[in-house]
Amino acid sequence: MAETISNISLAGIVKRYGDVTALDGVSLVLDKNEYVSLLGPSGSGKTSLLRVIAGFERPDAGTVTVFGRDVTNLAPHKRGIGFVFQNFALFPHLSVYQNVAFGLVNADTPPPADEVRRRVTEMIRLVGLTGLEGRDIGQISGGQRQRVALARTLVTEPRLILLDEPLGALDANLRMRMRDELRNIRERLGVTFLHVTGSETEALAMGDRVVVLDRGAIAQFATPDTIMNSPANPNVARFLNRYNVLLGELRGDAFVTAYGDLAYGKRIESSDGAYGIRYDRIAVVGETAPSAGVEVPVTFVASEYLGSAVMYFFEAADGHILEVEHHLGKGRMPEYRSREKYKLQWKPEDAIVFG
Amino acid sequence: MAEHTDTAESAKNRTAYWLIAPGALWMTLFLAVPILMIVYVSFWTQTTFKIEPILTLASWKQFFASETYIGSLFTTIRLWLIVLAATFLLGYPTALFVGLFVKSKTISTVLLVICVIPFWTSFLIRVLAWRPMLGKEGAINIILQKLGLISSPIEALLFSEISVVIGMTQIYVVFMVGPIAFMLSRIDRNIIEAARDLGASFWRIFFKIILPLSLPGVIVGAIFVSVMVLGEFATAAALSGRKVNLLGNIIVTQVGSLKWALASVVGVILTVIMGLVIAGFLRVVDLKKEL
Repeated sequence: MAETISNISLAGIVKRYGDVTALDGVSLVLDKNEYVSLLGPSGSGKTSLLRVIAGFERPDAGTVTVFGRDVTNLAPHKRGIGFVFQNFALFPHLSVYQNVAFGLVNADTPPPADEVRRRVTEMIRLVGLTGLEGRDIGQISGGQRQRVALARTLVTEPRLILLDEPLGALDANLRMRMRDELRNIRERLGVTFLHVTGSETEALAMGDRVVVLDRGAIAQFATPDTIMNSPANPNVARFLNRYNVLLGELRGDAFVTAYGDLAYGKRIESSDGAYGIRYDRIAVVGETAPSAGVEVPVTFVASEYLGSAVMYFFEAADGHILEVEHHLGKGRMPEYRSREKYKLQWKPEDAIVFG
Repeated sequence: MAEHTDTAESAKNRTAYWLIAPGALWMTLFLAVPILMIVYVSFWTQTTFKIEPILTLASWKQFFASETYIGSLFTTIRLWLIVLAATFLLGYPTALFVGLFVKSKTISTVLLVICVIPFWTSFLIRVLAWRPMLGKEGAINIILQKLGLISSPIEALLFSEISVVIGMTQIYVVFMVGPIAFMLSRIDRNIIEAARDLGASFWRIFFKIILPLSLPGVIVGAIFVSVMVLGEFATAAALSGRKVNLLGNIIVTQVGSLKWALASVVGVILTVIMGLVIAGFLRVVDLKKEL
């Protein structure tokens, strides 16, 4: 019976620290064999949620169920859940091989020695560390440490692996490489990954599905594509760092703001009123250009060159900064003069409204 | 150009030498020279009233021929091992609590300071305070009798080897606690959680992770305790009623009766033992790598 349910489910998880409610009724079902990213700003409860799932902390309410088995009150290692720490937390006095073998050798009922050797060797090969077995932890690079941390957890064959900002300790280049690496390793093993990150690009790039956590509650749980195109509320849109979120009020067919009534294409039910337009769906035209679609008069402030794109920052009448992204693939980089007046234009169907 | 960097380099080197000079001079004058002097004096000829720089092995033969002196050599080594074990057994759990189990850095610092409080009184008072504690009519015997646990006072508590061990352990245990607590406090808590997550039990985590990672602290603490206990004489003099004679006590007696040559022999033997002990401890752990 228990084994027929092959998912990991959280139901109504509440965690308080004194007066602060870190998790406020989190419910979530992770399927077997999927990569889920958990995105949230700092202080949203990401780490608390992870520690509750892992069993390092007990929730004040709610249950954690792994493949149909209630593990809420079980010790961390009895849950079938592995944890990869942000700083890797490798055992500094042990070699690469000994680190990976630790969980097997020190289990309550360790497997026979030749099985340990086979599984550890196989796992080291899988994460691409063959040849480094005898090295000390101090003698390998950051990326290699990440792999040791992963292998050390994977070798115990957990059903779910929790990764706490696993790429945070790596430099930018390595981070990009490890993204692919993590996805590949996961696919080969068919285990569920829950990858916590504060980076929206990382969350969208890596997750089959993305959980957005906001102030201790789940704001949205959907595919990256859905989250990107239909954020559940203005906060989610803000976390994505791809939307200009304008404040105002929804009145009938128009969204009323300080810069006039703005037309929109899609409406998303939400308790907070806001108007969202993506950075890359905005055209910049001169002050005297003919009107088209939705228009907001602005003043140019600054630009930032990102290599493949340029971000332009414009100030609206009320001081709100609007960002416009210009992909350099679309043509040469336009130049705007500082403090000069321009108009931002976009098609109503590209805009979404919350309310 | 090359010449210019050369001069800059050598000027830097000169500065470095000036930094080390006072220390080197001090150590030469007051450590190296006296040690060599002690070795030298141990071969001098000692008569009842004077000592002459005529080389002889007489004092060395006298030491090794005497049952008393050889006995005190073994007493010193035995007491050192007992006190070392006692400070470790008492100190490690304390350090474990202070360095690892107390989560707040402030509280752990406060606790370490509390460990040092006995040092605010003088060494002599700390040692002598054990007399009214351990004596025949001392606090411990009175309490045990009042509780009805014993009918007559335990006399072996004071003026015995036990009282010396108790006294020394109390005085030196803090030198064990400090370095161990320091090493323990440097262990990343995530490492312990990781070990727990991987399924290791408390004792396995202790023996496989915590103990190995704190070993440099144990070694440093053991070196501190060993050096101090091996050179001890005051605790034995105050608490053993002259029943326990350590090598240190022999040096005191011999110097007191102006027998410089024999005192030097004992001094050389003690120095050699300490050197061997420290070298032995340093072989256990590569402190260079750990600190």
